[in-house]
Amino acid sequence: MIKSFKHYLGVYRYFVSTSLSEALSFRTSFVLLILMDIFFYFSVLFSVDFLFDHTLMIGPWSKYQLLFFIAFMLNIDTIHMGVFSSNFWMLGFKIRTGELDFDLLKPTHSIFVAFFRYLKPSSMVTAPVAWGILVYYGNKIGLYWYDWLMIPPLLLMGLALLCVLEFILSTSMFWLVEGMGVNFLRMQMQQMARWPDFIYKYTYQKIFTIAVPLLLIGSGPVHFIFDKSKWPYLLGMVVALIISSLILIKIWDKALRQYDSASS
Amino acid sequence: MKTYLLKWWQTIRISWSKYTAYRLNFFLQVVGPFLVFFFIKYNLWSSIYGEDTGQLIRGYNFDEMMQYHVWTLVISLLGQGYAAMNLSEDIRLGRISSYLIYPFEFWEFHTAGFLSFQILQIFVSSVTLGLAIFFGFLDLPSTMTLLHGFSFTFFMGFFWFTMQYFTGLLAFWLEETWIMRVLLSIVVSFLSGYIFPLELYPEWLVSGLKFTPFPYMSYFPAKIFMGVETNFMMGYAVLAFWMAVFAFVNHLIWKKGMRLYTAAGM
Repeated sequence: MIKSFKHYLGVYRYFVSTSLSEALSFRTSFVLLILMDIFFYFSVLFSVDFLFDHTLMIGPWSKYQLLFFIAFMLNIDTIHMGVFSSNFWMLGFKIRTGELDFDLLKPTHSIFVAFFRYLKPSSMVTAPVAWGILVYYGNKIGLYWYDWLMIPPLLLMGLALLCVLEFILSTSMFWLVEGMGVNFLRMQMQQMARWPDFIYKYTYQKIFTIAVPLLLIGSGPVHFIFDKSKWPYLLGMVVALIISSLILIKIWDKALRQYDSASS
Repeated sequence: MKTYLLKWWQTIRISWSKYTAYRLNFFLQVVGPFLVFFFIKYNLWSSIYGEDTGQLIRGYNFDEMMQYHVWTLVISLLGQGYAAMNLSEDIRLGRISSYLIYPFEFWEFHTAGFLSFQILQIFVSSVTLGLAIFFGFLDLPSTMTLLHGFSFTFFMGFFWFTMQYFTGLLAFWLEETWIMRVLLSIVVSFLSGYIFPLELYPEWLVSGLKFTPFPYMSYFPAKIFMGVETNFMMGYAVLAFWMAVFAFVNHLIWKKGMRLYTAAGM
């Protein structure tokens, strides 16, 4: 187990270093990516801020509670952008061109190579901005020390759930010739998760919490941070993670059998 | 002249076939994002208004707010497409070499593609509009209002295409132009009133935007469709000015870019 972990860590070190070299070769793109993320953060935050100039509460939350939620989601987005997002776009291309053959031949699990191969190092620069925003709004709502301690594991839990759901969705690219549309659908999933569960009407809330647990990604952890009696949200996240991971393994095997290796 | 028009017609037909070849992909890529965003806005505003749908938020009751968002949905479908998406790829992969020897220029090919996309989007947005009326989100406005609204939206679509063309041409210098495209759509969504009506924004920001193209890309046409905005000339004038600016810049970039072009893959 430890040996295998070390092996994967060693491989991942190379993924990081090649992605970093590649990103730094195109410096203008690197800077533009940072600008794009910063614009995105502030457009989302300002939109919510403007909204609260005309209403006191949205659902049960005040302005700073909602902004804390948004900041929490921005942090998930930042890690997601940095570590995973490029891989989804590349997967479609690899399936279409048959380049996935090379990944399948590597002595690691194919899910690892497919979804961890490319990183976006510009997120390392924007991550401190996202943390700063989270800390700012966390202070505004007066979080306790133990709340701050819980934030990193809860962020990782939310991120893990988002990624597993996206991995599952991405396997549909094996059946479709063009994967671009699936990636756009994936981005819409993120868009929906960026708003708290209570803004959705009852039926949609149930569908996107139980059937496709998108709304648990951010709402689960933040509800728990605000009110510890809402621990069933976390239990729900753990169950959703386990079930989704099992579905992913099954569906990934099926997808690989469907893969017809365009280049061969 | 007849041969020239025939070239345009054939290019439009080819682009049409390309767009409709992968219909599910087209739906997910072009229609899906706007529909999902509308779904979120509908839920968000339902939650803000709650039971009191008659309360006014900056002059909008719930029904009017929904009408505004349905119109921005239709406007986005019609006027803010992805037609210039392949342009940068053509440059980066050296495919523009073919256009240099074809009797049909690069900009003509992509503009024909844009027109084809617009024709397709007329169909998509008509269905969307029909559904919005069927589900009671909208009452059909008068023919005159529709005519004004659609002509302004088409005009705005040309402006959007000119801007997209600009980001595509940057491929002469940039490895990845999608970043510019996304950056542009973040800025446009935020400043055009696509997310919320501009009445909800601080006044200093709205007055600062008056002579930029942004308010005329969602807010202004939505107000035309709602029968509120009647000062069409202002919108046409501002957009025409910015369209001329971008067309001129595009011309310069093309000329400079062609000097740099290495015809990769030849």
